[in-house]
Amino acid sequence: MDRPTTPSRPPLRSVLLRSRKHTVLGVDPQHLIRWFFGGNASIAVIVLVLIMTFLLREGIDFLPTYRHELQTYRRAGLEFCDIIDQPLQQNQTLSSSLRQAVSASLETLSKSARDRRDAAFLLKRQIEDKTTQTSESLSQALEKTPPLPPEELAVLRSELQKAAAAAAASLTYTDLFSAAEREQLQREFAALTPEVTDLPPLLQTLAADFTAKDREARTKFASLVQAQEEFEAATEPLQEVVDELKQHAQETKENAVEFEVLETNRLRLLEAAAKEKDPVEKASLTKEAEASFTEAVNLAERIQAITSRATELREQVEKYALVIEKAAAVLPTDAGTGVARTMVNDVRAGIPVHAQAMRKAAAQLDSWRWDKPVSIFTVVGAFFFGTSWITNSSWQDFFGFVPLLSGSLVIAFIAILIATPVSVVAAIYTNQFASEREKELIKPVIEFIQAIPSVVLGFIGISLVGNLIKDVSEWSWLQWIPGFPIQERLNMFNAGCLLAFMAVPTMFSLSEDALNNVPRAYIDASDALGATKLQTVFRVIVPAGISGILSAILLGLGRVIGETMVVLLVAGNRIAIPDFSAGPGAIFQPAHTLTGIIAQELGEVSRGSSHWQALFMVGIVLFVISLLVNWCARAVARRFEPHKA
Amino acid sequence: MSADSAAKTTPPPVVQVRDMDFCYGASKALFDINLEVKYHRVTALIGPSGCGKSTLLRCINRMNDRVPSARVTKGEVLVKGKNIHDADVDLTQLRKQVGMVFQKSNPFPKSIYENVAYGLRIHGEKNKNALDEAVERSLRHAALWDELKDRLSANALALSGGQQQRLCIARAIATLPDVLLMDEPCSALDPISTLKIEELMSQLAREYTIVIVTHNMQQAVRISDFTAFLHLGKLVEFSPTEELFTNPREKLTEAYLRGTFS
Repeated sequence: MDRPTTPSRPPLRSVLLRSRKHTVLGVDPQHLIRWFFGGNASIAVIVLVLIMTFLLREGIDFLPTYRHELQTYRRAGLEFCDIIDQPLQQNQTLSSSLRQAVSASLETLSKSARDRRDAAFLLKRQIEDKTTQTSESLSQALEKTPPLPPEELAVLRSELQKAAAAAAASLTYTDLFSAAEREQLQREFAALTPEVTDLPPLLQTLAADFTAKDREARTKFASLVQAQEEFEAATEPLQEVVDELKQHAQETKENAVEFEVLETNRLRLLEAAAKEKDPVEKASLTKEAEASFTEAVNLAERIQAITSRATELREQVEKYALVIEKAAAVLPTDAGTGVARTMVNDVRAGIPVHAQAMRKAAAQLDSWRWDKPVSIFTVVGAFFFGTSWITNSSWQDFFGFVPLLSGSLVIAFIAILIATPVSVVAAIYTNQFASEREKELIKPVIEFIQAIPSVVLGFIGISLVGNLIKDVSEWSWLQWIPGFPIQERLNMFNAGCLLAFMAVPTMFSLSEDALNNVPRAYIDASDALGATKLQTVFRVIVPAGISGILSAILLGLGRVIGETMVVLLVAGNRIAIPDFSAGPGAIFQPAHTLTGIIAQELGEVSRGSSHWQALFMVGIVLFVISLLVNWCARAVARRFEPHKA
Repeated sequence: MSADSAAKTTPPPVVQVRDMDFCYGASKALFDINLEVKYHRVTALIGPSGCGKSTLLRCINRMNDRVPSARVTKGEVLVKGKNIHDADVDLTQLRKQVGMVFQKSNPFPKSIYENVAYGLRIHGEKNKNALDEAVERSLRHAALWDELKDRLSANALALSGGQQQRLCIARAIATLPDVLLMDEPCSALDPISTLKIEELMSQLAREYTIVIVTHNMQQAVRISDFTAFLHLGKLVEFSPTEELFTNPREKLTEAYLRGTFS
């Protein structure tokens, strides 16, 4: 009987050795596949590192560059001028409200006379427009040498008369005029000829009426008018001195900058010449370098011309302050209208403050030193706490971060404030209460929002939301809301609403996941104790998922801060710190943002300039903010989720 | 406590299951179950996996309601003489009367105090003193008070597995239920923790009526007064524990106890 033979086994040695059959270029394909996958995973890390390096490389030079610019600003004396010039800006505001108050007051008396005069002159203009052709041909005929025969002239004259009469009859006369006046006007207009340059008699009367009324008004409000004139006049001598100094300082700065450019150029040429081996080339480079040589600006001497006038400037300021204070004292408490009265009162309160600010500024003049070096801390402070972002200025560029940051933060805050309740409540409903069919509807719809291009949302913000907010803000029964009625259609609130809409999908999906991750066992326990659905949701599920919800909110915040297109289109792009003194109504002011400014300005600045570097610096800060927000989100998610441990 | 002492004084059964059929959708899970749970006694449900022990247990506090399409198709379940499927039964009140402890300990991620107080809070208890009292009483009953009284505000998830399960028992008895349902409460615990819980159960049996599902037949012998043996959705045998284990009436029970199948 044959026993079944077991198949022979290969020798142990050959089994244990690594197979060399399936290799690619001597490498095991398993390894190749592993490297391929690992390589793809590491690309993300590499790209992130590259982005950081690139941002830092472009942006880090900003601080020395800006320091240098601020140093020039100080050495050329611009800073000195700004000590006085900055507080003097307030003068414009005061003077303009005063002017408005005066004209409002005068109008109370002279308005009807002026309207009548203006209406009559407007009518005359319309007649003249309609009869241009005929009257021109007549005046040309009159000027002809030899003169045309009188009968031809007569024909032209009658033509003109006919045209004028027709035009005068076709006009619509406002009811500012009585019937008799209308008739007279019509008659006078019909009789207009190019030879008579005098105004028709009724027009003269109307003009005279207005002058009389205006004079009457000016006597009635004499003290107000006088105060306003005095106030305006007071500025002039001071402004003159400041302007003179400013011009001098500006010249110094321009010369200094030009010298620097030439000097850098010269040094570069000399360096090249030193390296050059060919004697002919070397000679030409050296020659070129010598041609680029200029005299350095003697800053010490030039600044002397400015600082030497500090005393004079101080005296002028003192004089100015005295005069405006006197003007404030004689400002009448009475004005023509209620609005004018408020304005006058504001000005009266504002002038002493302004005078005080001017005096304080003047006191600083002495301690100012042109050669005091600008420390790096000053520069960092000037960037991170600078309150103005001024670029392409003929005077001085400032790169202050606060207006942009405040805009971004206020908008993000509004967006999160709106999006959080909406998305979290929607997530709770979808996760806990909705039927399967509702879930199938709600989830894809909310997630679809993410697919809307942000530029389309921006468009909606401009055309729809802006108008809607503006219209609503004019409803009379909503006037108790601070900031209503709003001035600008494009403002931070509008941008915040749209960003909230954009943040909802992220926040909704992540919150819903967080609720889904709450262990079933908690719900069992709560149910078994007799809790109602609502009790289970609010006492067990939401508290257990709260870290996930918080982390969802933070990730939404990250998304909102980084969003560019919508804020660029909708936020209004005014580079100024929102006026928080207006209270919560400040959210209806326009603002600019960190992201918006980069998108708007980076394309227009010359590469490597201080402005360019400043924008990169903004980019770095934005990057850091995003990193921090994301890190916080992860930390929060890990921290409060014991059930995942 | 033995079966004959229960026979002398016969208070009415706390839970009665009568001719009950139970279905998950189209598939029938329990057939014609009849069961009477005696007042202040421990009743054990034993049987092989998938025989319907847990389902039967969950019928008593209607935890099956949450499973869509799961329903009682025939018969009725009475708790303290009241059919729990009647329209006028308030589910929250029913579950307050019928507490439950699960296989895997599931304390809330809250403090120990809040865990025990939860049941009272959701039933509207706001009085701080009443809550304090109930928490102390429940923890004492669950033999946890001495271990935990100094750290009532610690997170319950920091406790050991056995402590967590006893905390869940404390939570379940805080509302003073009449019946305590236990679904394999020791299956995830080590022998020492199991022992503690078993001791606890025999003490609790003085004040509560307990129904326990267990896989461990020794446990059923140790702690229960009555035992029901289920097989494939049918109640094969229900008698005092001693009797069932020493002298089973049914062949099937005997085979199961011998370990012929499991």
